[in-house]
Amino acid sequence: MNTTGHKTWPKLTSREEFRFLADLVLKHSTGDHTLMSLHDQQSGTTRFANNHIVQNVDTRRGSLRVTVAFGRRHGTAGTTDFTAGGLQEAVAKATQIARLSPDDPEYLPPVERQQYTTSPTTRPETAVAGPARRLEYTNEAIGQCRMENLGAAGIVSSSVATVGVAASTGLFAYEERTDARFSLTVQAGEATGWAAAAHRSIDHLKIQERTLTAIDKAKRGLETRELPPGRYTVILEPAAVAGLWSSLLRTLDAKAYEKGTSAFSGKLGRLIVDKRLTLRNLPAHEDLLGCGFTADGLPTVASNWITDGALTQLAHDRFTAKKQGIDKIPTLDAPCLSGRGSSLPTLQELIKSAERAILVTNFWYIRTVNPTDLTLTGMTRDGTFLVENGTIVSAVKNFRFHESPLRVFNQVAAFTNPSEAITSETGKLLVPAMTLREFNFSSVTRF
Amino acid sequence: MPAQSNPHQDELAELALKRVLASGAEYGDIRLLDSTTQTIRGEDRRIASIGESQDSGFGIRVLYHGAWGFAASSVCSLEEAPRVAELAIEIAKGSASVASERVKLAEEPVHRDRVVTARRIDPFSVSIEKKTALLLETMEAVHRQAGIVRSSVSLWASRDCKLFVSTEGSRLEFDLLALSGDFDATAVHDGRFATRSFNTPHLRMGYELIEGANFLAEAPRIASQAVEKVQAPITEPGLYDLVLDPEHLSLTMHESCGHPSELDRALGYEANYAGTSFLTTDKRGTFRYGSPHVNLVADNREPETLAATGYDDDGVACQQWDIVRDGIFVGYCTNREVAPKIGETRSRGSNRADSWGSVPIVRIANIGLEPGAATLDELLADVKRGIYIEGHGSYSIDQRRYNFQFGGDAFWLIENGKRSHMVRDVVYHGITPDFWGSCDGVADRSHRRRYGFITCGKGQPGQSGWMTHAASHARFRNVNVIGGQAGS
Repeated sequence: MNTTGHKTWPKLTSREEFRFLADLVLKHSTGDHTLMSLHDQQSGTTRFANNHIVQNVDTRRGSLRVTVAFGRRHGTAGTTDFTAGGLQEAVAKATQIARLSPDDPEYLPPVERQQYTTSPTTRPETAVAGPARRLEYTNEAIGQCRMENLGAAGIVSSSVATVGVAASTGLFAYEERTDARFSLTVQAGEATGWAAAAHRSIDHLKIQERTLTAIDKAKRGLETRELPPGRYTVILEPAAVAGLWSSLLRTLDAKAYEKGTSAFSGKLGRLIVDKRLTLRNLPAHEDLLGCGFTADGLPTVASNWITDGALTQLAHDRFTAKKQGIDKIPTLDAPCLSGRGSSLPTLQELIKSAERAILVTNFWYIRTVNPTDLTLTGMTRDGTFLVENGTIVSAVKNFRFHESPLRVFNQVAAFTNPSEAITSETGKLLVPAMTLREFNFSSVTRF
Repeated sequence: MPAQSNPHQDELAELALKRVLASGAEYGDIRLLDSTTQTIRGEDRRIASIGESQDSGFGIRVLYHGAWGFAASSVCSLEEAPRVAELAIEIAKGSASVASERVKLAEEPVHRDRVVTARRIDPFSVSIEKKTALLLETMEAVHRQAGIVRSSVSLWASRDCKLFVSTEGSRLEFDLLALSGDFDATAVHDGRFATRSFNTPHLRMGYELIEGANFLAEAPRIASQAVEKVQAPITEPGLYDLVLDPEHLSLTMHESCGHPSELDRALGYEANYAGTSFLTTDKRGTFRYGSPHVNLVADNREPETLAATGYDDDGVACQQWDIVRDGIFVGYCTNREVAPKIGETRSRGSNRADSWGSVPIVRIANIGLEPGAATLDELLADVKRGIYIEGHGSYSIDQRRYNFQFGGDAFWLIENGKRSHMVRDVVYHGITPDFWGSCDGVADRSHRRRYGFITCGKGQPGQSGWMTHAASHARFRNVNVIGGQAGS
């Protein structure tokens, strides 16, 4: 097997090639406005379970989307065929749909040419990483688990994509994005421990460190006690915090706010969480997965969404933004939650400072129960422990929670500095580990 | 894409599989797929988007010295096929270099066949104007109801033209349709909001599915129930008898029976993501999953259902088998790789990929609850204090599929054998075998309805599974209902 790198052939669509394709589409389109977008990706995943590789895949997928508009009538066609014939068919299909579609009162023409700052969206070491690199990392994780007589299940993945947006208005945006991921569930009999990472650079996955973390959690779970449901002080690791915050961030839609169908209706400018908490978007942060522009071709921007606990921003589509006179639409592609004032340096310090608490590694299957007050439910997973007098004393059976982030993030007792967090249900965020009071665990499961 | 008449595809497949055989691999297959998807979405009296996408490509799977490799590409050319085949071989060799046990596939006869979805009206032949007119009229009908502040509608149609060829000699062509439509209405009252939904099942049939659904006749009922729902009194927590409608049960079955019956989960393949299963292999044939009223049958042969594709992506013919018989867990959903691990000589044919670019994995079959003998009125008549639930709402379940919590789309109190008024914020909680153990009645076949899923998440990279679940209404005793508000 080639161990030096991965042949990405045929090459992903370059900036010049995208410009050529865009020119071709724009030339063929008879629409008043035409928007075209590109997503061309080479991605691979090595997946393992029971200390064996169970899937080992590599996929090249290139796709183009063309939107044609006549006045306020618009239609979109997508294709994976990059030939001249394929593009012409896509333009013809989008045109046909647009001509037959009714007027859309909220349609807006594509944005004009924009200025973009260069974002750190790509890393060459990830772009050239292929099956051999993924296999090397897989072996490292499995090997450590085998040495401890434990079972490993997880993934190592890497991808490189070229992404572009162009329009008849002169808009043109293009960038390369890389993404590398590692996640691992270690099984020790009935007990499991978990760790995960995602980064633009495959060199930053910290396979050994995270494997040891997952092993430690699995080994601590060998003896489990059952606690009754009820309200507990909890110490949420960053992944658990990310799970709750991701659910909150998904519901910041400005149109729903305006129509009265949002949990935040009437709360703009008001305190919604502890006043020490601030949420910012930091697209240029090298540990986040921010990008340079949105699907509309708008530049991503650093912005505050929650400032000192008060909701200061909503997620606007272009129509709603225009209606409200917002020129520069804030984006939320790289969220960072931080606490003001005295924070504890590490998760271990949070544990040390706790008299009695439940330590939660991660939440799973978080779903909205009541959209009016943003009540969520979900299960703890892969490492739930009882902390007494500053020490982890035992693993506990997994709990189901029934809580609203709008209530519990007003019950903040302590927090650390933000650190990287990703789960199978969230994008990547920077969030602190946090101690929260009176967290409602509504039931217990059988393991 | 008429797969059977495209010599280019056969040439591409032959070129790729020749490389696979020359490598010394014991097995290989190629799937060439051309998918067309049309989606029309509307909200608040406007058509927000109309899109049609063409997604074409091929994926090659190689089993080399008992280890898998898979590579895929959207560049459908005779030059790309050998490159992708070589990459799949290289990846399989890499997997083999670290394998300590070898994959052995269950035997399957060679099949050469063509499968076509029966349709009366091709959904892609129905004009955009006709579809958008239906959706706009539906939204208008919804908004005529006082108290409605938002509406949404959608129509979705998919056509998959696929060619599967294996090194064992199977050659299968598919021309498969799937279709669905839905709309909903949202009402506000006293600072709250609530949504009521109408969904056609996702089925493999033509546009006759949408025409038969009668959106315009249903819209006033849905809108008025949205208003009633938001104004309904809150539910008192406690133990209730539940009568669940077929649409609601489709989700309950999917999550609490479908997923735990996937053998790859029971064997730990999904431990890092979707999870494992409380239905471990030692429980097969002896474990009491539910009451004797509970018979859950997998049927990938029932016409119009999503998993009835003739053959799966292992090239295995679709079948019917028992998952739970008289309340006892007896069978799994399997593929050619995992079936031999529990001593079965043939796969159940439940291996499916969501696109040409994904490797097939074990997916839930069309699992349905077998009808009983009662009528819905008879089920209700024997309930003193209960709740009747329709449709899907919030749902969450642990990674071994024990502890679940379900909401619903609409709820009515049952008092002394009769449905009385709507209630809101109903969430019930249970442990899977206890819950199914409390089932004491299933309605007869005349009440049977089918509902499909196209967003069943599993696998890394994530894939969407498609399957249909059929049921008649069923009754469950003494189920724990909790409040649906924060901290309750």
